[in-house]
Amino acid sequence: MINVYKPKLAVVVAVSQESIDTKLIRFRFKELKDQKKFDFLAGQFMQIGLAGYGECPISICSSPFYAAKYFELAIRDVGQLTHQLNQLQVGDEVYVRGPFGNGFDLGAIGAKNLILIGGGCGFVPLRPLIVDFMEGRLKTPKLQIFYGCQNENTLLFKQEYAKWNRQAEFGIILDLPSAKWKGEKGLVTELIKKHEINSDSAVVLVGPPIMYKFVIKELLNKKVKPENIWLSLERKMYCGHGVCQHCAIGRYYVCKDGPVFSYAQLKDIPNAI
Amino acid sequence: MLKSDVILQRLAETWLKDYFIYAPTKSGSVLRIQEIQDFRAIDWSGSMPANSWKEIIIPARERIFDITGDKLQTTAGQQPLTLCLGVNVLDLKALMLLDLVFSNDVYYQNRRANLLIVGYSSDWPHDYQKLKVFSHNFEADVLEHVPFDVFIARIKNNKLKFYSGSEKGRKLLETNGIKDFTNIKFAGAVAESGPDKRMMGLQTKLENSLKHSLWSTLDDICLACGKCSNVCPTCFCFDFVDKIDPNDARRDRVRSSCFYNDFSKLAGGFKELATIKKKIFFWYEHKFVRIPHQYNLPGCVSCGRCSKVCPVGIDIFKNIAKLSKIK
Repeated sequence: MINVYKPKLAVVVAVSQESIDTKLIRFRFKELKDQKKFDFLAGQFMQIGLAGYGECPISICSSPFYAAKYFELAIRDVGQLTHQLNQLQVGDEVYVRGPFGNGFDLGAIGAKNLILIGGGCGFVPLRPLIVDFMEGRLKTPKLQIFYGCQNENTLLFKQEYAKWNRQAEFGIILDLPSAKWKGEKGLVTELIKKHEINSDSAVVLVGPPIMYKFVIKELLNKKVKPENIWLSLERKMYCGHGVCQHCAIGRYYVCKDGPVFSYAQLKDIPNAI
Repeated sequence: MLKSDVILQRLAETWLKDYFIYAPTKSGSVLRIQEIQDFRAIDWSGSMPANSWKEIIIPARERIFDITGDKLQTTAGQQPLTLCLGVNVLDLKALMLLDLVFSNDVYYQNRRANLLIVGYSSDWPHDYQKLKVFSHNFEADVLEHVPFDVFIARIKNNKLKFYSGSEKGRKLLETNGIKDFTNIKFAGAVAESGPDKRMMGLQTKLENSLKHSLWSTLDDICLACGKCSNVCPTCFCFDFVDKIDPNDARRDRVRSSCFYNDFSKLAGGFKELATIKKKIFFWYEHKFVRIPHQYNLPGCVSCGRCSKVCPVGIDIFKNIAKLSKIK
């Protein structure tokens, strides 16, 4: 019987400072055979840990297309473990388990226009979809990206914006920008109000819980169907297998049945969003 | 001493030579499941013990792995041969659920492989009427759907009826000279007639009931002490706890409770279960929504331990009756 709680070693192969509190880290499994058979879906997550510091779920932000070579995690320094992970250097080793969760349902998104809405560090799991769209691996004809962030210092993936602007409709809005900021100011809902939204679009939404309520209201105003709105939820979790109960919402487990849910699935569950 | 008691004691005495035995035992006025040294200490009344068998089946703390330097060693060790003696039918139902929940868990399965389960029911003197589980279809309705090695039923004329539920159980009986027993073939956790209709109905009612006045009432009186989850035979949630010492690190699995304050706390400080109302609703959801949804089985086996232990008298039976009335 496989021990599902036994992690594997992965080695840091690249580190870059993505924002004031977040590092983008590229990992490769220490054992080549583990890397070669590794595969995942956009929207899935890994449990990453350090000896003695526990483990935590982090969404994979690289494209599944490169899964046999590496995977990337953007890790924000918010707790004891993520603080340690932010000190990692090339060559350091971590313990990982995964991938976990269901990922985005690309079959359901199909050939619909795709709208990605991210808030703060919640933006991370959207990147695999962006990369796959840019590199021609999605069926979707049009991509709109709306990104709400606190200020310039917390924006992620800045070096990729030029490309996103060329190939997609990309909007950034900052809540508390510096005086130098010349772009949009406010909450991400403002972007949705201003942009033209095709009501038959598929929408993927990731961000802090407070964002969901307001964004969903705007999307429903624009006649987007509840079953075409997907959200990725964040909960405390340990096991990753729907056993430890920490991530349960209603009848579902975020680690196993999620983290991606359609709004139609969640709208009647108390405390889900 | 009744003849049946002599037989039970003789069996326990023999088994004690080969196994560590846990059984219901009177501890003062409280009936507790604990390890026994003396076969005469076993309580055969068939009453519900205050604690549950999970204390043996899911330890409160267990080592998952050690890391020394860069070497990670898992700790899924063997357990000595242990016999759980006198497990009542409701607790067998709880064990069925645990077996399903932990079916992919190597730590649980290693431990379980060395556990022998000897079930027991007594319709004498009073549990027959009280528990209402001993219908004339006892074998088909109950025993075919729970895991056990041996089952001993004290029947109406105070005789004992023996059942074997596994090859191990059959040997355990035969080597003790018991030839007259019925083999029960496990027919799956869910009865052939399908999942319990009342349970499935309650699932829908409960999951949409957060606005029901019951939850506000419970919010006022519940202390969130977690005693209910501690004694509940189907509460199995856990945390992983790491020892922060990079030179000699380890991970333990520690039994948890959704009533604990940090149960849902994220690194940024956000807590989903921030109120008592949310916590107790979550606990009921586990029993009556999630487990039925996942396994087609009730997540509550009606043992009543939570109601007995609750310091403010929250009665799960009364609460379920209230929720059942929702139209």
